[in-house]
Amino acid sequence: MSDHIARGEDFEKKAEKKLSGWGLFGSKYEDAADLFDKAANSFKLAKSWDQAGAVYVKLANCHLKLDSKHEAANAFADAAHCYKKSNIKESISCLEQSVNLFLDIGRLNMSARYYKEIAELYEQEQNLEQAIVYYERAADLFQSEEVTTSANQCKQKVAQFAAQLEQYQKAIEIYEEIARQSLNNNLLKYGVKGHLLNAGICQLCKGDVVAISNALEKYQELDPTFSGTREYKLLRDLAAAVDEEDIAKFTDAVKEFDSMTQLDAWKTTLLLRVKEALKAKELEEDDLT
Amino acid sequence: MSKVFEGYERQYCELSANLSKKITSASLLDGEQKKQKVSEIKGGFEDAEALIRKMDLEARSLPPNVKATLLAKLREYKTDLNNLKTEVKRITSANANQAARDELLESGMADTMMASADQRTRLIMSTERLNQSSDRIRESRKTMLETEELGVSILQDLHQQRQSLLHAHNTLHGVDDNISRSKKVLTNMSRRMSRNKWIIGSIITVLVIAIILILYFKLTH
Repeated sequence: MSDHIARGEDFEKKAEKKLSGWGLFGSKYEDAADLFDKAANSFKLAKSWDQAGAVYVKLANCHLKLDSKHEAANAFADAAHCYKKSNIKESISCLEQSVNLFLDIGRLNMSARYYKEIAELYEQEQNLEQAIVYYERAADLFQSEEVTTSANQCKQKVAQFAAQLEQYQKAIEIYEEIARQSLNNNLLKYGVKGHLLNAGICQLCKGDVVAISNALEKYQELDPTFSGTREYKLLRDLAAAVDEEDIAKFTDAVKEFDSMTQLDAWKTTLLLRVKEALKAKELEEDDLT
Repeated sequence: MSKVFEGYERQYCELSANLSKKITSASLLDGEQKKQKVSEIKGGFEDAEALIRKMDLEARSLPPNVKATLLAKLREYKTDLNNLKTEVKRITSANANQAARDELLESGMADTMMASADQRTRLIMSTERLNQSSDRIRESRKTMLETEELGVSILQDLHQQRQSLLHAHNTLHGVDDNISRSKKVLTNMSRRMSRNKWIIGSIITVLVIAIILILYFKLTH
């Protein structure tokens, strides 16, 4: 391991010397870039991510001077991958630079993919707002490249975080949009009821009873088979429970659904919020009476 | 001598009729009585075989013309006896099965008799069994739903892969176009290069010829 580090540092020094000295035919930048590449490789082998990342950044600057933006953007992306293991902020900044370069060149696909990576990093750090921003940008770029599935995936994440941050209207719109698009597609139509269920839960969180029943009817029209599913039954029971402000009925319906398929963490959080709202309303009414 | 043979013949006919009657009655009975009858029949078989042997001896000692007919009759009697024996075997084999089944069911009957004596435990057992089967059905339903979810996610992945494949297909078409364009450019370049070479070559030859001419005129003047 240590000899890799030593070799890497050796290459780095040579490259620096090339940059600072004179070169014949102006090829010094290319040679320096080569040496930087080798140095970064040996650092990666030695698993010293910070040094590898730093060298990749220098490599990228070399490529920029050589006006090969594509290479530079790739180098920034490599740097970001190295930094992912150690220092997330650096990695995010490298990815941003790389994305800007890709946008300049016009490779929207790559830039969309890297936006998604940035968003995932933010998600890991639990910085949901930034994550939403980046997922939205990624979804827009994917849409313009007509890669609808990745766009849908990003939008789904946006809706998930929006619901967690209590931006219910946005989440509802996104879920309904995705459901509508998935209906036409043979492969995706089996996932429609999942999306409609998510949309329905967000409606419940908003707490507007009339809107909930309207929405259920709308989903019925969208997808005729929806009314036969357990998801629809659950939504209907929950809507009735919220209407009558009956917590026991609510809990029963949720338990019944949970006994068949485990509810995931997101749904559990949202349903818990609805239950708390119900409880609060009940307490309020008790106070008034 | 044939009188002796006829005497044996009569005895054999009586015996075989007796045996067939006993076989039919034995197939109707079962258990211990059947076993008794079967052993009786087996004794009868032995007598019949002895009779047949004696008849055989008699027939061989007689003159040839009568011998042929007597031997034919003897063969008939032998096949008859064999048939009776197979029937008895069939009965006894069925008997063996029957006896074993009787033993099994006897103990079984005793059990159910004990359970039906206690109605309540029987009801409890049946309800428990019903509960178990409904539990198992619920479990299988859960597994089915999980499989369905898995299938949905697999379909989504497939969709994504389909889109990336289509994208790659289009990109490759673009690459194809670019390659053919670059091929044209390269052929252009090579043509121009060879044209330049020819021009330079011709200029050099012209200049060399000019130098030679000048030298020649210079020298001859």
